[in-house]
Amino acid sequence: MNHIPIQNHPVDVGSTLAQPGKYLTFAVAGEMYGVPVLAVREIIRLCPITPVAHMPSHVRGVINLRGRVIPLIDLRVRFGLSAGADHDRTCIIVAQVAAAAGGSRPYAIVVDGVEEVIGFTTDDIVPPPDFGLAVDTRFITGMARQGSRITTLVDLDAVAATDRLPEAS
Amino acid sequence: MPPRKAIDDARGLLRRIGLELAFLEPGQGIAPLAELVASLPAALGANATPEIHRAVDQAADWVSAAGASSLERFGAWHAWMEEAVTAWERDQPMPAWPTPLDNPSERPASLEPGEPPQPSPQPSPQPVAVTRSARPLLDEMAECQPVAVLPEGFDEELMRMFCVEAEELLAEIEAGVLVLEQSPEDAGMLATVFRGFHTLKGNAAVMKLVVLQRLAHELESLLDAARQGRRQLDRPAIDVILAAADVISRYVAETSRQLDGVDTGRSISLPVPALIAQVHAVLATPPAPAAPAVATPPPAAMAPVPPAGVDSSSSAEPPAAAPMIISDLPASSPPKQSVASDPASRQRSAAPTGSSVRVDTHKLDGLVDLVGELVIAQSMVFEAFETSGGDESLSRSLGQLRGITADLQRTAMAMRMIPIRGTFQKMSRLVRDVAVQLGKEIRLVVEGEDTELDRTVIEEIGDPLVHMVRNAADHGIESPAARLTANKSPAGTITLQAFHQGGFVVIRIADDGRGLDPERIRRKAVERGLIPADSTIDDREALELIFAPGFSTAEQVTDVSGRGVGMDVVRRNIERVRGKVEIESVPGRGSCFTISMPLTLAIIEGLIVAVAGQRFVIPTLSVRESFRPHLESITTVHGRGELVDVRGRQVPLLRLSRHLGIQGGEEAADRGIVVVLEAGYDCRCLLVDELVGKQEVVIKGLGETFTGRSGFAGAAILGDGRVSLILDTTALVRLGRGSSETAA
Repeated sequence: MNHIPIQNHPVDVGSTLAQPGKYLTFAVAGEMYGVPVLAVREIIRLCPITPVAHMPSHVRGVINLRGRVIPLIDLRVRFGLSAGADHDRTCIIVAQVAAAAGGSRPYAIVVDGVEEVIGFTTDDIVPPPDFGLAVDTRFITGMARQGSRITTLVDLDAVAATDRLPEAS
Repeated sequence: MPPRKAIDDARGLLRRIGLELAFLEPGQGIAPLAELVASLPAALGANATPEIHRAVDQAADWVSAAGASSLERFGAWHAWMEEAVTAWERDQPMPAWPTPLDNPSERPASLEPGEPPQPSPQPSPQPVAVTRSARPLLDEMAECQPVAVLPEGFDEELMRMFCVEAEELLAEIEAGVLVLEQSPEDAGMLATVFRGFHTLKGNAAVMKLVVLQRLAHELESLLDAARQGRRQLDRPAIDVILAAADVISRYVAETSRQLDGVDTGRSISLPVPALIAQVHAVLATPPAPAAPAVATPPPAAMAPVPPAGVDSSSSAEPPAAAPMIISDLPASSPPKQSVASDPASRQRSAAPTGSSVRVDTHKLDGLVDLVGELVIAQSMVFEAFETSGGDESLSRSLGQLRGITADLQRTAMAMRMIPIRGTFQKMSRLVRDVAVQLGKEIRLVVEGEDTELDRTVIEEIGDPLVHMVRNAADHGIESPAARLTANKSPAGTITLQAFHQGGFVVIRIADDGRGLDPERIRRKAVERGLIPADSTIDDREALELIFAPGFSTAEQVTDVSGRGVGMDVVRRNIERVRGKVEIESVPGRGSCFTISMPLTLAIIEGLIVAVAGQRFVIPTLSVRESFRPHLESITTVHGRGELVDVRGRQVPLLRLSRHLGIQGGEEAADRGIVVVLEAGYDCRCLLVDELVGKQEVVIKGLGETFTGRSGFAGAAILGDGRVSLILDTTALVRLGRGSSETAA
């Protein structure tokens, strides 16, 4: 893991550098990712998914969250990583993302397992490198390092906003 | 004695000029005004007084100056012209030419579009007969009044309340004025309209909206004069009151917009000085005798009148006419051109008494949403209970819960319903204006204004309704002369009806005008390339063509309804609220448009179908029928797909499994079910595996992620908690016909 160069170049990121604070970390295709804990509404087990035809492949469909119909996105496919089958640790994170008309809307993502909530300080967080990462840097707000583990911090608003476009290669 | 016709024509032109002036803004083209002014010499003929001729030349000069002319001049000129024509008619001396207009050769400052208006070098012109001194108010106001919309340091909440109240007052004023137009002596109505302006003035003063306050004050004075019998409300008075109400309405609308954060800080240009000048002019000139020769089309009658052609011109005599106190009028009271029914039934149905509360619509919507979720949760509990076997007492409790939830849901839905009265009232004014503008006589009959619809539905169908009524008035109803030639009464009738039928609301717009001619429509469609020249569509299908984009049968595009908005937009708006619109028409006799919409947007009755185990909901409103097909009724056309014989009609077949890319569906058509979908007159057959059932479902939006992408109209949560997608049947029916909606 040390071979990922962490340098302080200014990189063209879609959003500003991630703020220090508490992040919920989770696994996707073997790598660790994190989102600000304040954006997370809840975590639920895998539930029946209704597929929606004619949508890009990262949109798995919609789910029923207590009477509300919300979209479900497969981050593995979205990030262009090797898609895996669902397993018993697979679960769904329901987050809030920015709505085009202002305010926020619910947004659910399928992940390979939720880890824990970690507080990252300013020193822990650096901008993402401009190469060498598997994921499109549009979706990344920074890299956080604590001890030996590196967490890629995700901008879910950016992910949600670009849903209409073909998935990242 | 000047010729009657010249007087009448001139008056008619002056009236229309007055209307133009009331709405003219700097930078706006004055072509319509120019045209009207240019028609004056011909109308007046050679025998008008030299002063009148000179005045007309003067106006023609101004109009031909580059750019627009100062509104004030025209305001004063207009006032003088009206006086002068009256004096000419009565063989009286000409009124004195108003001092500010004294230099006929001086060219006024021209205004280019976009340029801020230049203050004119003279003080604001006063029409001659105004005896009060030039009020300092008028001097302070900038020419053509760019008005700041939101004053310094305003309180947002108070301003919002002001806007809401102002809108209500204006609606009352407009309705009252239309009644007064029919019966100017209606004391109650005079008092109501007077109070309307009085309250507006007071509210405006509190909110420090100085210009609005002044305008309301002027109108209040006019109404006061009418109320005290000093001034009868004739056509020019009615026109100026309506014009002022419109200007105030525009101002309030702009205020609301700016409160919502749109274009904040922008000032709005309003013809307030011109309006005020006109009010003074009206106050100063004695009312013209309501001579029958002036073709006054009877304006809309608001009272529900039994339709079926009852020509209620029976009340031709003035009802026990109140004596007119205006001393310089001839002794006989002019006959009223009243087509309204008697005063008793003209009384608008009083608003139901009882207290009410203002609720923020967001809170209301939130509550309704929650109730929707409660209904779903409750049905999930019920389903779980059923599948796990039933305990007797639990079953009873659940039954009770179900009943209460159903009641709660009905109440929540009812809170979103409002009567369609407001929308129908707008039509009254619209029909009157069109009738006046085009010289037609049109009666508007309204029924069922108490019918309630979901708030959102009313908002969405407002524009389509306006368009259709305008069409009926403009293109449907013929001119009085044409009607007489066709052996019809000179006054045409437009009927607006609203009522509940089954689970739907029906709105009908009917007219007894010239109707739609299928032959002409066919020809136009061929011209526009909508159908091939040798097309064999029948008359019914031909009528549907008017809904095709880019179609208009208007011979001349009048400025009343020919502009841009087509029937295709109308139909799309109606379909957006899951409604449908149908036409019936008989050439020469009239047309009837029928709109039907579900009572509420939130719940629909749906047919549940399954394909490869996945369930989908089809709104029953769009389903004509369903059946298991015989293999023989299905034909495959090379290169075009499959067709199903439905009672002799060949309808294209769409396999839902193939369309959605679902594997494992039933391949053999005769082991599946065909559902016949309809949208307007178009049909499509949908092949599914099976029919699961029919039930009411609460519609959930799919959200931003799916907007415009999927071919689905929404989602529903069925009893087992799974989400089931609702098919967009209109898109499916029109698939592959070049329509804008596409599911692929």
